[in-house]
Amino acid sequence: MNSQANRCTGYDALSQLSRRRFLETFGMGLGGVAFSQLFNQASASEGGILNQVHHRPKAKRVIFLCQSGGPSHLDLFDHKPLLKEKHGTELPDSIRKGQRLTAMSGNQASLPLAGSPFKFEQRGQSGAWISEILPHTAKVVDQLCFVKSLYTEAINHGPAVTYIQTGSQFPGRPSMGAWLSYGLGSENKDLPGFVVLVTKNKGGQPLVSRFWGSGFLPSRFQGVRFRSGKDPVLYLSNPSGVSGQSRREMLDALKALHDLQLENGADPLIETRIAQYELAYRMQMSIPEVTNLSDEPDSIYDLYGKDARNPGTYAANCLLARRLAERGVRFIQLYHQGWDQHGGLMGGIKNQCRETDQASAALIQDLSQRGLLEDTLVIWGGEFGRTNYSQGKLNGNNFGRDHHPRCFTMWMAGGGIQPGTSYGQTDAFGYNVAENPVHLHDFQATILHLLGIDHERLTFKYQGRHFRLTDVHGKVIKPILA
Amino acid sequence: MKTLAYYLTLILVLVLFPSLSDGEERVDFATQIKPLLSDRCFVCHGPDEQERKGDLRLDLKEDALEVIVPGKPQESLFFKRIAHEDPEERMPPMDSKRQLSAEEIQLIKRWIQQGAEWSDHWAFNSIKAPEIPKIKNQAWIKDPLDAFIGLQHEKNGFQPAPETSKEYWIRRVTFDLTGLPPSLEEIDAFLADKSDKAYEKVVDRLLASKRYGERMTSDWLDVARYSDTFGYQVDRDRYVWPWRDYVLSAFNKNLPFDQFIKEQLAGDLIPNADDNQILATTFNRLHPQKVEGGSVPEEFRVEYVADRVETFSTAFLGLAMGCARCHDHKYDPISQKEYYQLFAYFNTIDEAGLYSYFTNSTPTPTLRLKSDAQKKQIASIEKEIQSTTDQVQKRTTTSTKEFQAWLEAQRKEYKPEVQGQIFHLDFEKKPGGKNQSVPGVQGKAAKLTGDDGIQTKVGNFNRNQPFSIGIWIQTPDVKERAVVLHRSRAWTDSASRGYQLLIEEGRLSFSLIHFWPGNAIRVATKEKLTPKKWYHVTLTYDGSSRASGLKIFLDGKLPPLRIVRDHLYKNITGSGGNHIRLGERFRDKGFKDGLVDELKVFDRQLSALEVKNLFDEKSLKTLLSKDHQKLSSEDKKFLLELYLFRVDPGYQKLIKDLYERRSRRSKAVDGLQEIMVMEEMKEKRDTFVLNRGAYDQPQAKVESEVPSLFKDLVNKAPKNRLELAEWLTDPQHPLTARVTVNRFWQMMFGEGLVRTPEDFGSQGLPPTHPQLLDHLSIEFIRNGWNVKALLKRMALSATYRQSSRVTPKLLEKDPENLWLARSPSHRWQAEMIRDNVLATSGLLVEKLGGKPARPYEVAVSFKPVGKDRGEGLYRRSVYTYWKRTAPAPTMRTLDASKRDVCRVKRERTSSPLQAFVLLNDPQVVEASRALGEKLIQKHGEKNEAALIELFRLLTSRKPKASEIKILQTLYEGQLKGFQADPKSRDQYLNVGEKKAPKGISLDRLAALATVANMLYSFDESVTKR
Repeated sequence: MNSQANRCTGYDALSQLSRRRFLETFGMGLGGVAFSQLFNQASASEGGILNQVHHRPKAKRVIFLCQSGGPSHLDLFDHKPLLKEKHGTELPDSIRKGQRLTAMSGNQASLPLAGSPFKFEQRGQSGAWISEILPHTAKVVDQLCFVKSLYTEAINHGPAVTYIQTGSQFPGRPSMGAWLSYGLGSENKDLPGFVVLVTKNKGGQPLVSRFWGSGFLPSRFQGVRFRSGKDPVLYLSNPSGVSGQSRREMLDALKALHDLQLENGADPLIETRIAQYELAYRMQMSIPEVTNLSDEPDSIYDLYGKDARNPGTYAANCLLARRLAERGVRFIQLYHQGWDQHGGLMGGIKNQCRETDQASAALIQDLSQRGLLEDTLVIWGGEFGRTNYSQGKLNGNNFGRDHHPRCFTMWMAGGGIQPGTSYGQTDAFGYNVAENPVHLHDFQATILHLLGIDHERLTFKYQGRHFRLTDVHGKVIKPILA
Repeated sequence: MKTLAYYLTLILVLVLFPSLSDGEERVDFATQIKPLLSDRCFVCHGPDEQERKGDLRLDLKEDALEVIVPGKPQESLFFKRIAHEDPEERMPPMDSKRQLSAEEIQLIKRWIQQGAEWSDHWAFNSIKAPEIPKIKNQAWIKDPLDAFIGLQHEKNGFQPAPETSKEYWIRRVTFDLTGLPPSLEEIDAFLADKSDKAYEKVVDRLLASKRYGERMTSDWLDVARYSDTFGYQVDRDRYVWPWRDYVLSAFNKNLPFDQFIKEQLAGDLIPNADDNQILATTFNRLHPQKVEGGSVPEEFRVEYVADRVETFSTAFLGLAMGCARCHDHKYDPISQKEYYQLFAYFNTIDEAGLYSYFTNSTPTPTLRLKSDAQKKQIASIEKEIQSTTDQVQKRTTTSTKEFQAWLEAQRKEYKPEVQGQIFHLDFEKKPGGKNQSVPGVQGKAAKLTGDDGIQTKVGNFNRNQPFSIGIWIQTPDVKERAVVLHRSRAWTDSASRGYQLLIEEGRLSFSLIHFWPGNAIRVATKEKLTPKKWYHVTLTYDGSSRASGLKIFLDGKLPPLRIVRDHLYKNITGSGGNHIRLGERFRDKGFKDGLVDELKVFDRQLSALEVKNLFDEKSLKTLLSKDHQKLSSEDKKFLLELYLFRVDPGYQKLIKDLYERRSRRSKAVDGLQEIMVMEEMKEKRDTFVLNRGAYDQPQAKVESEVPSLFKDLVNKAPKNRLELAEWLTDPQHPLTARVTVNRFWQMMFGEGLVRTPEDFGSQGLPPTHPQLLDHLSIEFIRNGWNVKALLKRMALSATYRQSSRVTPKLLEKDPENLWLARSPSHRWQAEMIRDNVLATSGLLVEKLGGKPARPYEVAVSFKPVGKDRGEGLYRRSVYTYWKRTAPAPTMRTLDASKRDVCRVKRERTSSPLQAFVLLNDPQVVEASRALGEKLIQKHGEKNEAALIELFRLLTSRKPKASEIKILQTLYEGQLKGFQADPKSRDQYLNVGEKKAPKGISLDRLAALATVANMLYSFDESVTKR
C-alpha cells in the first residue's frame, strides 16, 4: 500500500485503529481483521505495529527479573576489597565529586565507607567474582553477562523504576513490555503478550501499575498482572455455581443474538464483540492451563527449590515464567520487592538472596535444557545500586546503604547475549563508573535491538510528538552481543 | 504504516476537492501540505531556534517564500532539495527517521505549481461567524448545525441516514445526557407523546435531572486528573471530593462555562470570593503529589507546576505545551521562554514539594471547610481575642498608678530571678553519642557531631502557650543549614510540624509550624552569626500564633528581625518528636561541630529584662535595686514589662483570658477539615527558564505572560491567574470556545469535529467541519457559554437523530464516519456500563455527592482497599474511590482514564478482560439476580412477559420473536441445570452482599438471572446505537 511500508516507523498512534478500517475500505474480509483487534495476539507481522522487524532478531521474548528496591552491587557482584580496607573511614570528596545524594543520607554529617561483610570468590570458567550469598547463581555464571557499569539519574524508587521501565522518570509513558507488545504483538493468541508476576507477601517500596502500564499506547498493550490467587486474571473464573455447561449455553445464546444482528448486514463492532467473547472463553482454559504448575515433575521442583510449590513465591513465578515463555508470551516481568537495605543490610540482603538465588539460576538452567535460552533474553536487576558508605551510623557490620544511581550491576543471559562475560567497570570505591558506562537508555536500546527493533524507529505519535522508549537517547551496547 | 492524518487527508482530498478543470485536484495547504511540513521539516526548520538548521524556517510564510517560488517548483530551492536525485543532497537528510514519499513529493510539487497558496494555522485564527449554508435538503434540517453537516453530505454524495426509532433515540440521548438508561415508563411516555415537542420535552427533562451533573462530572474528572489519593508511590488518601461536588453542582445549575473555567483557575482571586469559588481552585492541586522519603522537594514542586501548565494547555487551549518545557516547541510557535512565562502564573503558591509522611496535614495552601455555624462561632471567638489583645496592648503602653507604686515601693522586694524555668541542661556530664565534652561558657559545653542528637524531656508546647528557651551556641563556620534545636519528628517527612531554631545561610531562624511553608510563622535575624564566637540566644513566644509574637534575642538584645512567614492557623503539636532535641533531626542537616551550653526552658514568655538577665546574670538585680530617681526611661520600660508579666494581676488575668480564648479557637479550628486550593504567596516566587526543564538549572528570570502567538487576537496582557482566566475566556480567544465545543461534540457524537481534542496545533488533525466548529463556538459564546443549550441543540438536531445502521456501501465510502451520514456507534463508557447494570437491576442507590464509594472492585485492585457495605456498593460510578496507583480495576478494564494526567479523550478498546467483567464480576452477577427477582415479583409465572421486560430494560426496545426464542431456550436450559443441581444454584444466588430472596422459586430465579447476566453483554445493551 505504500512505498513507506518497508521503512515503517510505526509512528502513528492511530494507524492501528485505522488499519482495520483501511483494509475494510480496500475490500478485505472483516472477520479475521476485526479479530486481530482484540488482543495483541497473532504473529509478529500481524499482531504488532511493525510489519517486519528492523533486523534479524536474536531473542523472541524477554523475562525480566526485576529486583525491586535497588540490590547492592557491592555485596553481590561488584567486588571491592578497598572498601574493606577503608571500612569506617570517610568517603573522600574526590570520589563523591559533589554528586547529589538522597535527602535520606544527604544531610548526614559523616559518610563512613562500608566494606561488604560477605566473601567474594571467582567462579566458573569465566572467573566472574560473586558473593557467597549467591551460591546458585555462582553455578551458572558462565551463561551470564554481567553489566557492571549501568547508571541512572534517578535517586528514588518511584522515579527510578519508572525510568527503567518507561525511559522517563515521570509517569505517563508506556512501559518496555507495552512497547514490545505494540511493536511485535504476541505469539500466542490465547494469552496476553505481556504478563507481570509479583512475588506475594513482600513489603518494601510499593509497586504501582504504571510500571507495566501502556501510557498513551492503547491499553491492550499494558501488562496483565497475573494474581497468585484463584483468578490469575480479574474475574477469569465463572461465578460460583455456574458450570461450564451453563456458561457455554449463555455464550451460545449471546452469539445467537449477535448473529441475528448481523443479518441486517456486516457490522465490525458486532463481529469484534463475538470474537471478544469467544477469546474470553478460550482464555478461561488457556490461563488456568499455564498457571497450574501441578503437572511439573519433581525434578523441576528440585531445581527451582521447594518454594516453587507455593504459588506466588518468586520461585513459583520463575517456573511460571518458563511456562509462559514456552507458550510464546512476549514479555514476562517478575517483581521481587525488598532490596532496599537502608539499614540492617547484612541480614536483609541475605534473606533476599535466599528467596531468589536458586530460582533465578534454575530458570537459566531450565530454559537452557529446553533449548529456550537461545531465543529468550533473561535480565536480572534493580532500579539502581547502593552507596559504598553507610546510611546512618556504622557499627561494625551493622549498617545500611542508601540509594546510589551512579553505578550498579545487572546480569543478562540468553537471546543474543555473549555468555560468560562482564562489561564495564566501576572505580575501586564502587562509586563511579570507571569504564564503559551504560545508561539506562542504552540498556533499553540493547534490549530492543536483540528483539530485532531499531529503538529509534519504534515510535508513537502522541500530542503531536513522536515518542519512543529511549526518549531522544540510547545506543546499543554492541560488545555484549553474541 | 501511514498515519490516520494521511488517510483523512486522502479522503478529504478525494471528496473535498473534486477535479479542477485541468484534471488536477486542488491541493489544500492547511490540510495537506502544512501537516507534511510540520511532521517532516519543522524539527530542523520550525519554531525551535536551538535546533534550526541553515537559518531556514518553513513555519512562517515570509521565510518559506524565500525558498519557494509560487508556480515554479523547479525554480524553488525547497522543491529542488526535497526532490534531489543525490541522496546526500536530498531533504529530509538520510538519517532522518521521517522521509517524504514519492507521492508526497508530487503533492508538494502540485501545490507549488498551483501557486503555493499559504494560510496560517486554522486554530490560531480568530473565530468568525460563518454563514449558514444553503442546502438542497432543507426539509431535513432541525437545527442550523444540520445545514453544515448536510452541506458536506451533498458535496460528497451522501444521503443522511433515516431517522432512528424513537426507542433508540431516547436510549441514546438518555445515556448521553445522564449516563443512565431510560426507564420503561419514560420510554412509554415518549412513545405515546405524538406532539411536536415530544423530543424537546425529553431533552429538557434530562437536562433538568440531577443525573445530568453526575454524567458531566465523569468526563471532567478525566480532564482534571481527579483522584482520591496523592499518587506516585506511597499514594495515600487525600480529601478532595468536595471539589468533585462543586463540579457536580456547577453542571447542574448550568454555571456559564466561562465562569466555570474562571472559578477553577482563579476563584481565589475573584474579588470577595466565596468559599465555593475558592474550593473550585482545587482543580489546580489535583496533580499527583509525592511523599517518598529522600526525594528532593524542589524537584517535585517544579513537577507540580509543570503539571498545572500541561493541564491548563491541554484542557483549555487544546495544545501540548510540554515540549516547550525543555526546548522551543518543534511544531507550534511556542518558545521555551514562553512556556516558563506561562509557568510563572502557576508558580506562586506557598506549597511544599512533598506532603507529610508522619502527619496527615493537608498540603498548603488550604481552605478550611466550615459550616455556617462554625464560621459564626470562629468569628465570635476571633472578636473576643481581638478585644482582649487590644486591652493587653493598652495596658502595656499606659503606665498605671499601681506600677508607679510598685516602682517606688515593692520593686526592691521582687526576687531577682528568672521565674518559670522548667528545665536546665548544663552539659557538665558527657553528652550522648559521639558528641564531645569541651570547655564552655560555664564549665563544659557539648560539641555536636551533627548526627547525634541530644534529647530532652520537655517542650511539648502548643501554639497558644507562651514559652521561652535560652541557650549558648557557637557555630564553627557559616552554615548553609543547621538544626540547632527543635521539637518535631522530622523535616520534610513531617513538613517540620512543631517548632525549631535553625541556622539558614548563616542566620538564625525561629519558627512555629503546622505544615511548612504555608501554615507557619517564622522570623529570622538579618545579620549572619560570626563563626567561632559564643552567642547567647533566647527565643520567646507569646502564644499569639503571629510572627510578631516570635522573638530571637542575641546576647540579651533584640536584633532586627525579618518576618519570613506569618500564616499559622493550626496546631503545632503531634506527629511525634514531642520534646526538644538538640543538634540533629531526621533526614535534616545537623549542627555539625557546633557548640552548645546552658540550655534553659521556660513555660512562659520572658520579659526583655529577664532575657537580658539570662545573658548577663545581673540585669535583674541591677534594675530592681537601682534608686528610683536614677531609673532611666529605658529602665522603666524594662521594669514595666516585668511588672506586667509578673506582678500586675489585671494584666495576668488578661493573659489568662487570651490563653483561654485562643485555646477555644484551637478547639474550633484544629479539627476543621482542610482542602488544597490555590492562594497567592505574599511575596511572589521568581520564575526562571529551566535548562532542559531541570529544577536545578535555572537560567533567565521571566515574568508571567501569555504566548505571543495570541498577541494580535486577544487584546489583554494578563498579570496574574485571574487575568489569565479572563484572557482565556475572552470572546476573542481563538481556542477556548473551539476546544470546549469540540469536546461537547465528542461527547454527543463519539468523536470531535477535531479528532485530536488534545492537540489543535500543527500536528493535530484539522477539523472535519471547520465552519460548523466556528458556528457552534460563536453561538456558544453569544449564549453566555450555556452548556445545556449547546447540548440541547445537538440532541435535537437531525444529525443526532439519524440511524446508526451502517450499510456496506457507507462503510466503504466513509469508514471513519467523518461525514456523519449515520449516527456513530461505540461501546458506552465505563461508568455507563456499570451504572446501567445497577439502574436496571434496581440496586442503584441514588444520592448526590458525598465521600467516595467503595464498590466490590476496589477490594480486588492491585492495591486492595476495604469495600463498603450497604449503599456504597451500589452508587453511581462517578463516586467510585479512585486510587491513582491502582485504580478501580473494572473501570480501567472498560477503558476509564487512569487520571494520572489530564486526558480529554478515552480510548475504546475491546479486550476479553471486558467480557470477564460483564460475565463474572460479582457486581454484575448480583445485579442479574436482583433483576431476576424484580421480574419474578412483577410477572409471577409468566416467563415470556418477564423475558420481554428483561429485554426491554436492557435494550430499551421490544424483542423480536426470534430474540424471544433465544432467551427462552437459554432460560429453559438453565432452569433444567439448576433444578438438577440445587447446590450450584444456591452458590450462584449467594454472590454479592444482597441476600437472596425468600418465597420465590430459586430455580427460576437462578435461570432468569443467567439470562440477565448474558444480556448485559449484548451489543445493544452496551453499545450506543
